This record gives sequence, structure tokens and C-alpha cells, in this order.
Amino acid sequence: MSASFERLIDGIIDALQSHVVPNSNDDFVRGQVFSAIYALNGLKLAADWKAGPLLEQVRLQDDTFATVKRLARGMAHPEIPATPRLPSDMSDAGAIEALRDDGDRRLGQLLLWASGADARAANRDLATEIERLLRRTICDQLKIELATTPKSMLQQIAGGDGSAAQG
Amino acid sequence: MQEVAKRSDDVSDAAPEPVRPVAVNDDAVRTALAQHLSRISGSRTEITSFGRKSSGFSWITYAFVARSAVEGDRKLILRVGPPNGLFAPYSVLPQVYALQSLAGSGVPVPALVSSEQDGAEIGFPFFICAHVEGDVPAPWAASELDPAHKRAIARQFVEILASLHRIDPVGTPFASLQQGGERAEVRAIAGWRASLARPTARYYPLLDWGGRWLEDNCPQPPCRTIVHGDYRIGNFIEHSGRIAAILDWELTHLGDPHEDLAWAMMPTFNARSRKLYGVLERAEVIDLYQRASGIAVSDKSLAFYEAYALYQAAAIQMCAVRAFEVDRFNDMRLAVMASQMPSIVRAFERALEAAA
Repeated sequence: MSASFERLIDGIIDALQSHVVPNSNDDFVRGQVFSAIYALNGLKLAADWKAGPLLEQVRLQDDTFATVKRLARGMAHPEIPATPRLPSDMSDAGAIEALRDDGDRRLGQLLLWASGADARAANRDLATEIERLLRRTICDQLKIELATTPKSMLQQIAGGDGSAAQG
Repeated sequence: MQEVAKRSDDVSDAAPEPVRPVAVNDDAVRTALAQHLSRISGSRTEITSFGRKSSGFSWITYAFVARSAVEGDRKLILRVGPPNGLFAPYSVLPQVYALQSLAGSGVPVPALVSSEQDGAEIGFPFFICAHVEGDVPAPWAASELDPAHKRAIARQFVEILASLHRIDPVGTPFASLQQGGERAEVRAIAGWRASLARPTARYYPLLDWGGRWLEDNCPQPPCRTIVHGDYRIGNFIEHSGRIAAILDWELTHLGDPHEDLAWAMMPTFNARSRKLYGVLERAEVIDLYQRASGIAVSDKSLAFYEAYALYQAAAIQMCAVRAFEVDRFNDMRLAVMASQMPSIVRAFERALEAAA
């Protein structure tokens, strides 16, 4: 899904205004569409992404940073942040998302390091273990996102086929 | 031209935006199209049955009927490259080269009617081709078609790919698509890496790591052929049991033929099946392709390009997000494409494990 909640709402409203309204001559349908646009504008002001899955991802990242720090002790490695990174009072989804994205960049740096020549030369077995751990963690993070991803509707989206477009 | 390229007014004044995109206005395109066809045919041309089609995520596709006293009614297709679309900035050249060079070859393509890189009356790069009768099979859902029918189509699909790869690109306009030295394949990977590294794109650690692996381990091609670049179920028209036209040549380039084979066999494009079109076993595809093309398929190269296919798919999804988020291309289909990212990246990680 689109990263920016507001941009997504704007895009939905534009799709309705530019493509649905001009192609509907049914007053009732138009009323429904304008009501939907009004409701979407309300959501834009009051809603945001759910913070729960983002929090789960940040905690998973923190666990991994702690484990890698322990495993890589004595090796020259990219900076590993102190954990936990999340202040207990943080609830703003945007701020948590930024923390998750920063965590992803740091995980990427560590993965490139662990699979690179320098780490292999320093301790091949340990570097391989760290690489495996990082790959597993990153895949687990993706699983959290998958749990909040609706069932694919590519068939309907690409073909404009309206059947089974619910749920 | 200016009428067509009207400024979009959908962007909220409250949000500071670096880009106010040029939007493609359907009514203005229709008017400009009539002017263009009238000019090139020398006969006043009227446009009827004009409508935007949902097919394709990149170029904007319109179907229409061109009516003139000289040529009567012609069903045509117009494809316009929007300035803020998925792969903007657009060039018509790959598609034009393909439609011109392959006309009358063993690779069926729609007949090219007109094209303009500078946009002419319409204001954006565009080309017009003949409408081809038939159906476009759906790549994402299992179809209700008779398996024997699907097998026949799948076999033709492989044989046409072999025909494409048998063409010697030297002496055709495709040769001009070759840029620089020998390792065009490696440059293509570097290009996708650069696209994923754009500061506005969300960072995926596995793609960063995997992109480096792909660039370091790209195999030497057995030969350098014309590569379609998006050869899959859903990018052809079939009619009465025959493939009537191969479509969407915008990503065509010279490269390793394994790339097309791997892309075509991605489960994503085969209703999540490991079989081509849900009916042709992988071994059968490879055997048929080898016999028809004369090109030996390497298991190692195919595994590499299967991983690369997923990497490209991920990069394309991110291009879609960028087009929607940053360049403000208002197509909701692009906005939701990124929802596929978690499953694509996980599949990429597994494919890389198999290729390594």
C-alpha cells in the first residue's frame, strides 16, 4: 500500500472525482460517491496507519540488534544502536514508522557487512551465523506486514473486472 | 499541446509539494488525436468510441475508432507516455523498433500506424497501432479455459519466444538499444539498484543486499538476443486458438535470453502455479524452448534470472509507489501495487538462496 496515509486518501478522492463521478449519470450513485469523498476527507483529518504492527517490527529489530551486538563482540562492524530505541510514551505512528525505517537501514548495513569480505575474513562461521540471523529477522518483519495486507485483487485491479471485489 | 498538458489541481494547497505534475487530460487527448490523424492522413478524421483501457500499468492506453472519408472506420489503440508515469521519462523507440522490425516475422505484433517521441499535437510521447481482435488472458487468476486449449497457447507462447531469440539483432533497429560495452546485463542490474536507492524510496535491506549479490554474480549470457523484457501471460492477444499479437515492448533490450524465460515462468504471472499458464511443466517449457531456439538453457543462469525477475518486480513496485507518492501520478492501481512488496521480497530471498 502507499506509504503516506494522506496521499493515499487524496488519490482515492481524485480517482472518484476524476473517473467515477464523470462516468455516472445515476443521481443516487453520485450521491453515494460524494458521501464517500466526504467520509474520506474526514478520515484524512482524524486517522492514520495502525501503530501496532509498526511497534512489533521495531521490537523485533531491537531484539536482533541486541543479539548481533553480542555475537559480533570483538569484530569491527557498523554501528549498532542501543536498545530499546522506543520511548515508552511514543504512540505517533509516523514517528514509529521513522524508527522502523531507520532500523531497516541499520539492518541493511549489518547484512552487507556480515556477507562481505571483511567480516568473512575476520570470522567466517560467525559472519555466516549473523547473516542468517539478519535474513531471518528481516523475513519475520515482512511476515508482520503480510498479516496486515489484504488479499490480492490484482485480477480485478488490472482488468477492471468487478466480480469478487469485496473483502 | 498546452491544453492537453494542463496542470493537475488535485494537490492540496496545505501540503508543501515540490512537484505539481502535468496531468493527461482525456478530452484534450481525444481532440489532439483527431488533429494528428487528420494531418498525417490528409483527410479529416473523427474519433469515436474513445475510452481509457485498464490494461497496462505504465503507458496510458486508449481504444478508439478513427473515422475518415478516405479510410473508413479503423479500430485503433493509442498509447501515451505520461510525464509522471511508472517509467517516466518515456521513449517510444523500443516499442516502435519492435513493431516495425517484427512485422511479418515469426513474432506477431500489432501494425504500427503512427508514433511521435516529441509528442506532436498530443504533447506527450505516443504511438498508435492497429487494434487486434481477441482476448488477453489473465495472468493472476486461474482461467476456466479448457486445459488442452491452454496447452496449445502455452506451447505457441514458448515457440514465439524462441523465434524472437533466434533473430539476429545486428542490422535491425534493436542494435541501437545496445549501449556501451559487453555487460549490458550488469548495467541493467545497476540501474535497478540505483532506482531502489533513490532517497524517496522505502529502504528494504534484503533488496540492498540481494542487489549487490546479483551485480557480483551475473552470469555470462550464452548469446546476446533481443529480450522482450516483460514476456508473460497477459501480454499477448489470443484469437481462435492462436496468439495474434505480442504486446508491451517498452522494456525490450538486448541481453541474456534466460531473462525472458525466467520472467515468463514466474508463478505471479501464472496464477501462482509453477507451470507455465498453469499447464506446461517447467521441464517441458525448457525442452520446447531449447529445441525451438537452438539455445542451451543453463540451470544456473535460469536460477539467477528467476531471482533477478523478483528483484525487478520489487523495483517496479517501488517505481509505482514513487510515481504515485512523489510524482503525483493519480492512478490508484499504482498506489496499491506496493502492497505486494512483503511477499515479493520474501520470495526474492528464497530465490537468491536457490541461485547462490
